[in-house]
Parts: sequence; C-alpha cells; structure tokens
Amino acid sequence: MNNQVDISFDKLYNEFENRIKSLEKLPALKENTSAEKMLIEKGFSRRDFMKWAGAITAMLALPSNFTPLMADAIKVVDRLPIIWLHMAECTGCSEALLRSAHPTIDSLIFDYISLEYHETLMAAAGWQAEENIEHAMHKYKGQYILMVEGGIPTANNGSFLTIGGHAKKGLDIAKEASENAAAIFAIGTCSAFGGVQAAIPNPTGAVALSEVTHKTVINVPGCPPSEKNIVGTLMYYLLYGSLPALDAYNRPKWAYRLRIHDLCERRGHFDAGEFVENFGDEGAKDGYCLYKVGCKGPYTFNNCSKNKFNEDTSWPVQAGFGCIGCSEPNFWDTMGTVNEPLKDKLYNTTFSGLGADATADKVGLGLLVATGVGLAAHATLSAIKPPKE
Amino acid sequence: MITKQLVDQIEGEASIYFDIKDEMVDFATISFPHFRGMESILKGKNALDALVITPRVCGICGHAHLMASVRAIENAYKNAGHKINLNQKIESIREFTLLMEMVQNHLKWIYLTIIPELQKLHPTDRNSKPLKGAFGASLAAKAIATFAGQWPHSSYMIPGGITCDPTNIDVLKAQSYLDELISFFEKESLGISIDDFLAFESCKDFEKMNSDISYLESELIKNDMTHKGHSYDRFIVLGEHSFTKVSKLNQTKAMGADVKYVSESEAYSPNEKTYAINALYKNNFYEAGPLSRCMALSMPIVKNMHRRYKDSAYSRVMARVFELAYLLKKSQSLLKKIDISQSSFVSPENIKNITAEGVGVVEAPRGPLIHKIRINEGIIQEYKIITPTQFNIGSSTQSNPTPAQKAMSGVSIQNALFIFRTFDVCSVCTTH
Repeated sequence: MNNQVDISFDKLYNEFENRIKSLEKLPALKENTSAEKMLIEKGFSRRDFMKWAGAITAMLALPSNFTPLMADAIKVVDRLPIIWLHMAECTGCSEALLRSAHPTIDSLIFDYISLEYHETLMAAAGWQAEENIEHAMHKYKGQYILMVEGGIPTANNGSFLTIGGHAKKGLDIAKEASENAAAIFAIGTCSAFGGVQAAIPNPTGAVALSEVTHKTVINVPGCPPSEKNIVGTLMYYLLYGSLPALDAYNRPKWAYRLRIHDLCERRGHFDAGEFVENFGDEGAKDGYCLYKVGCKGPYTFNNCSKNKFNEDTSWPVQAGFGCIGCSEPNFWDTMGTVNEPLKDKLYNTTFSGLGADATADKVGLGLLVATGVGLAAHATLSAIKPPKE
Repeated sequence: MITKQLVDQIEGEASIYFDIKDEMVDFATISFPHFRGMESILKGKNALDALVITPRVCGICGHAHLMASVRAIENAYKNAGHKINLNQKIESIREFTLLMEMVQNHLKWIYLTIIPELQKLHPTDRNSKPLKGAFGASLAAKAIATFAGQWPHSSYMIPGGITCDPTNIDVLKAQSYLDELISFFEKESLGISIDDFLAFESCKDFEKMNSDISYLESELIKNDMTHKGHSYDRFIVLGEHSFTKVSKLNQTKAMGADVKYVSESEAYSPNEKTYAINALYKNNFYEAGPLSRCMALSMPIVKNMHRRYKDSAYSRVMARVFELAYLLKKSQSLLKKIDISQSSFVSPENIKNITAEGVGVVEAPRGPLIHKIRINEGIIQEYKIITPTQFNIGSSTQSNPTPAQKAMSGVSIQNALFIFRTFDVCSVCTTH
C-alpha cells in the first residue's frame, strides 16, 4: 500500500488556486483599480513585486513554486475589507508598519485594503473617519477582518479610553467590531496580551482583546511586531481561508514557533559559554551572548533573530541589548528586571509551579525549564551569576 | 455656540470644543480622552526598567523618552555622588540617533500632515505625495536601527553609555542611509541643495525655488497663515544638546533657562473629561518646539520670518522645515565625530546602591521632554513625565489660554484646525 506523504504540494496548490478564484468573484473594495495597479503607480516594478511575493512565500514555509500564486493572491487582496482599530496604545505598531522599511509593499497593501488604518494616508479625518468605520461594520458585516492595535481599558467601565465624535468607549467599540468580524487579529503585545499599560498595577484595567470577546483572536504580539508577521498573518488567511495553526497563546506557529534563542546570531557564543558579563566589556565588543546581562531570548517565542527590523537593518540583540521578551504575555511583570538574567528569579515569579513537562504548546514559557536543562548540558549554568553579586 | 471637532491622525486623537462668535473662534478648549497610567506602572520597578518602559509612552518619539530616562538616571547617579562621564563617542551616537528620530518625525509631519491639511483649506491639483514622507522617514529609521537595533522602541542607551559597539562598517552604513536621505530631501523636497537652502537670509529667497517646500511656503501665504496663529511670542528650550541652546525667549530677547522653573496646572476642559495636564515655565505659558529652537539659535532666516510675521503659523511651519535641513547637516557632522576606538560604556556603580533623585531633559521633536525619577536602592519610588505637548497644547481658561488655544482664537474653525496641527500634536504623549 502506498502511504507516501504527498510532498509535491499539488493538493495545496490546487486549493489555493480555487480559493483565489472564489475570492476573485467577490466585489472589489475599490472600483476601476487594483492592488497591482496601485503598486505600479507608487513606483514598484513587477520585479520588486515578485521579489516581495517570493519573500512572503518563503516566510510562510511554502515551496518557491508558490510565488506566482502569491502574486495572484495580491490581486484579490482587496476583496478582504479590513477594519483597523486603535485602542490604548502608543501607535508604535502603525509606525513600525508605516515606515520601518521603505513604504513597503506590505504597508501599501494595508493602506489599500484597509478602511480605517493609516488615516494619515486617508482623505477622511475626524467625523468622517468615524462614519466610515460604522458604515464599514454595517456594510461588510460578517466579512471583514478586524485588526486591533492597543489594549482595552476596562476599569471605571472603560472610561479611560473614549473614541470618536460620540465619545464611545473603546471597550464597547472593540466588542461590537469583534462580534461581526470574519477573522480577528490582535496586532502587537498590547492588544494580544494587554501590553505595557496592563503592567502592575494596571491602573486602567487594560486587558487583551481576547478577554472582551468570545470569538477566536489570533495574536500577533511584539512591541512592535515585525511588519512581516503582520502581513504574513493576513496572507495566510487570504490563501488558506482559515486560521493558521496556533500555539497556547494563539500565536501563529509559522512565526512564533521558535525561540529567539534558537536562531540567534550570538547562539554560538552561548554554546561555547562565552558571555557578556557587563555592558562594555571585552565580551560585548566581541559580540558574546547577552544572557547574563538579561537577554530573555531563551524564553521568548518570536522570529526576530531571522526577520530583524527596519528592513533587515538590525535588531536589539545585534545592537548589544538583550531581548526583553516583548512577545510573551505579561513580560513586563514576569521578565523584569530587564538587565538581569531570569534564571535566579524563577521561583519568585508567576512561573513557579510549572511542571517540567510543560511544553511550548501548553505554555510558551514552560520552555524555560527545558532551557535550564540545556544550560546544564552546556555546563554553563553554574557559571551564570547575575553580574556584580 | 459650542461646536465639537474631532482631531485624529495625531498619534491618538483629541477633541476641540470651539466657542464661536461671529463665525470666528472666540475660545477653544481641548480634551484628550484617554489615559494609560505609565507613571504609576514605573513605580516599584527597577530603575533600569524605565529604559524599556518609557519609550512605550510614544510610538513616534520613543527614542527621546529613552534618552530622557537615561539622563534622569545618570543625573541620579551624579546626585548620589557617582558622576558618570560620557566620552564623545557615546554622546555623538546618542545625539545622532535622537536627531534621526526628529528628522523622521518632521518629514512625516510635512508630507502626511501639513501639506494634506493645507490642501483641505485650499484645494489644488497638486498631489500631496504622502509616500515621500514615509520613504524619507524610513531611511532615518534605518540609520537609527544601525546603532539602536530597531525603531520604534529602541533600547540601546543605558546609564554609562550605549550597548552597541559599532565597527567602521556600521558607521559607514549609517552614513550611507543619511547621504541617501539628504540627496532624497534635496532632490524631492527642496529642489536645491541643503547648503543653499540653509544660506537663505530672507523669505524672499523662496522665490528662487520650485519644489514641494516652496509650494508649501506659497500655500501658507495664500492662506494668510503669515497673519494667523500667533501665540505668546515666548519660547522655551530646556534640553541640553549640541544642536540648540537652553534658553527662554521673550520675542527675540534670549535668557538662560532652568528646568526647575517648570510647573504643572490642571487642564480646563468643561465639555469633556481630559487626562492632559498643562506645563508652564515660571507660571507662564511658553511655546516649545522647532520654532523655539531655531529662535534660540538665532538662525538668520527664521529671525527674518519672525521679524516679518512674528510667531505666526507660517513661522511655526517653516521653522520646522529649516530645522529639518539643519539637523540633517548636523547629523553628518556628528557621524564624523565618532571615534570607534573609544569605549561604548563607562561602567557605573550598581544601581542597587543608588538612592537619589534625578532629572533628565531632552529636546524631543516637539520640544522639551522632562523625566524626573526618585530612586531608593535601585527601585523607582516615583516617576514623573512632562511632555512638550503639555507646554504647547494642554487646555486652560479663556483669561489665561495655552499657546495653542491662543493661536486658534480669532480665526475660522477650518483655520483653527490647521493651526492646531502646526504644533504637531502628539496625543498619546500628552496624557501618557
């Protein structure tokens, strides 16, 4: 009996083709134009566009022969209306998407298909923008993708955030918009997990979007998240027509499967037991591992070590500042102090009581324990002490 | 009659309540209806955690917050008897990344805010080309990331120095982003070289240009912004930097200034709850930001504008354009000053042994940003943040209006909304 696995991806290819065909039949958001046309008007060549499609294909771990399909998918991207809400936040996620790279194809596509996002590039402002969103929620009921940036303040009945000409509470808008969305993405750690404003003592009672709706929320955390993870999540939904595989914290596995540590450029130094003991020391000059000066890379699930920021320019670890764990829930409270290693604090934090068998899928931070074992295997654990103690 | 207007695209949003008499704004109050409580979150945390928490106050000037935190902690070290001496390399790299943040902010503001808003006042066929601003800003962000790892929310400054140890290649990379940005700005925005632009001495010199910037200038004149948007004609600069001078100015008369004279007052906003608090200097309202910094430097062209049009909306907008050009040149010279053989970090005393208070002041894109910290054995007891928008905008009573309230009175609502944006409002910073 032939029980060989289909490694040709033919079936998936056909499914994607059919999905794109069915999307094509839906009405476009904007008449007389297309995403492709828009990109060409903005000065992107066909070649730029194919390069981009190739990169997204690779990121989603699809074979390279899917690249033309990805390019086709973009042509129907405007069948997916997006409503983007700003809650309690610093707007850093939008800033990251808008210009951490060239006005990339990623950011332009968002601008093109979004009904609310990047008001900066939109003609509507003020009252008009508010009407747009109400109108869109009604018109595209059950079809739109909801993307939310920012935590949801709930204390004092949500009075720490009111939005729009009618001073509606952020809490109520988030609930209402979630109710009628086809898919919900929480963009950034604030909307995924509450974020910085939810740190102790959480003065505004800020919570994650998933806590105010009964619907499934896909979390795309990071402070800020990489634009590639944001656009990748969208493209995944567009192609598969379903939600991606998620981990215990509802993060897409294709992006948040590995720890920062796993693909870290300084990993070799960790394995060799070579650590920066103090900022500015010889180890720091030689790019040694930052674990002892507080890097939380071994406990943090994200793909920064591969994707980097600002169009591959750099990332915090490259600049000599350890990972702060910004894509993990409650990291502000559980992973502090920033410049100290976590290992000595394990049993004083919320991690206490975690069984050694906890896996990444059950609890992302459970891997902490495994890391401890890994450290011991490298015979470096005993050598690790917080600096100057 | 009170008319409410919602203002967004300002890193969050604000509401303005206009009291209209004879179709002109008689008085306006402003509310910022959101709050996150960043100061109370900082309390009880390790002082060094402020370095990653305060940048999250704002997605567009997080770097300024980082530097204000570092300066506040370093000041506490000094007050505890452990003065930290920074070398030129550290100072230059910190200042360079701070300037790049200002550059990206100003570019974005010109192309994504001011030109489109002017076109709403007076529609023309010209495409406002917002992506130019986004493109230039992305180059500046890459220059920051070269040293700081990422932007926004970089965390590479620490008390005693910086965490990166750049090689010559890194410096060259930053140089090339900057050069690309400068030639982009010259070609796409100015139409002439930055040197020629900075050599302007009179507003008449704009006649030589034909570009986005001369378009902006002529549209400001067409909309009579030379005679609108006047505020107190008092300016304040509090951050110590190589690119400006700490001073307070009454018109052109400059004097020294000290952050200890900054105080706060409750906002007056009868129509809607606001979480903003006003910031004052010696109990008076002062305007902060690029116009103030250019006045403090006695930049010839800006003084010429001021002589003609005082602190009008025109002067406020064009000073920012000149500051942008000036900062690009300044950034070039800062990069040249980097001697990579110098140390990146001077190891200070362990923070656990520090019990002291400290104040950190920097010039952020919109003006002075003040952080005050009280540390007990390394733990934050109290943290206070005063942002530039609190100086400029806030909301006060009719008898003692804030600079923005004063600038908006006596014009139509449409003009007032434009004038409001000439202050480059940042809503999330204001309430934090």
